[in-house]
Amino acid sequence: MRNQVREQRTQRGLSQAEVAAALGVSRQTVISIENGRYLPSLPLAFRIARFFGMPVEKMFGPDGEGAGR
Amino acid sequence: MMSFIRPRWRKPAWIVLAGTVFAAAWVIRGGPYWWLWVSLVAIVAAGRAFALYMWAGEDDDVGALAGSRADERQKLLSLRSRALAFNVTALAAFAGLTVAVAIRAGWWWPFAVILGVTGLGYLLGLAACSIAEEGPADDASTEHQTPFPISS
Repeated sequence: MRNQVREQRTQRGLSQAEVAAALGVSRQTVISIENGRYLPSLPLAFRIARFFGMPVEKMFGPDGEGAGR
Repeated sequence: MMSFIRPRWRKPAWIVLAGTVFAAAWVIRGGPYWWLWVSLVAIVAAGRAFALYMWAGEDDDVGALAGSRADERQKLLSLRSRALAFNVTALAAFAGLTVAVAIRAGWWWPFAVILGVTGLGYLLGLAACSIAEEGPADDASTEHQTPFPISS
């Protein structure tokens, strides 16, 4: 799975710690999601998408399709 | 049950509780050096509780688990770690049981108990976690049912 978390976060000038605090998860989990090492649960995926004001299918997508492209 | 205790204190509190129960067992057992064993248990439990408390202050996955503030990924990490511990325990018990039986040792039964408990625990987990998932399929109607394609 690909995701737009890092791109969206850096576009908004937010730190990983700030995003983690807003989402109620640890900084390590944000790092893991950004690096694609951890696939968030559906509720967390929706929280992430809502936080960045994007549809969840734009935020996350299969490798071949490329999320947000 | 432990929600009235601050998250960082929860795991140390469990250690202190377990240490107290174990120390009580030594008191009940009695004997000439019971106080020595109670002191040893108290020192180990206090040390472990202190280490967990300090660990809980770290900004990493282990710190989050020690401080009872783990998020979904960290809980999954803990769950996988427990599953691995379960597998290792079951394998070690099986190996111990096999060796004990092979050499006709009298200490085979603790391994059998551990193996039995891990097996029962697994079945208990399956039962507890899958009951809510059971249910009739909502596409059980036979009118529109088409056979699954079988590829050979």
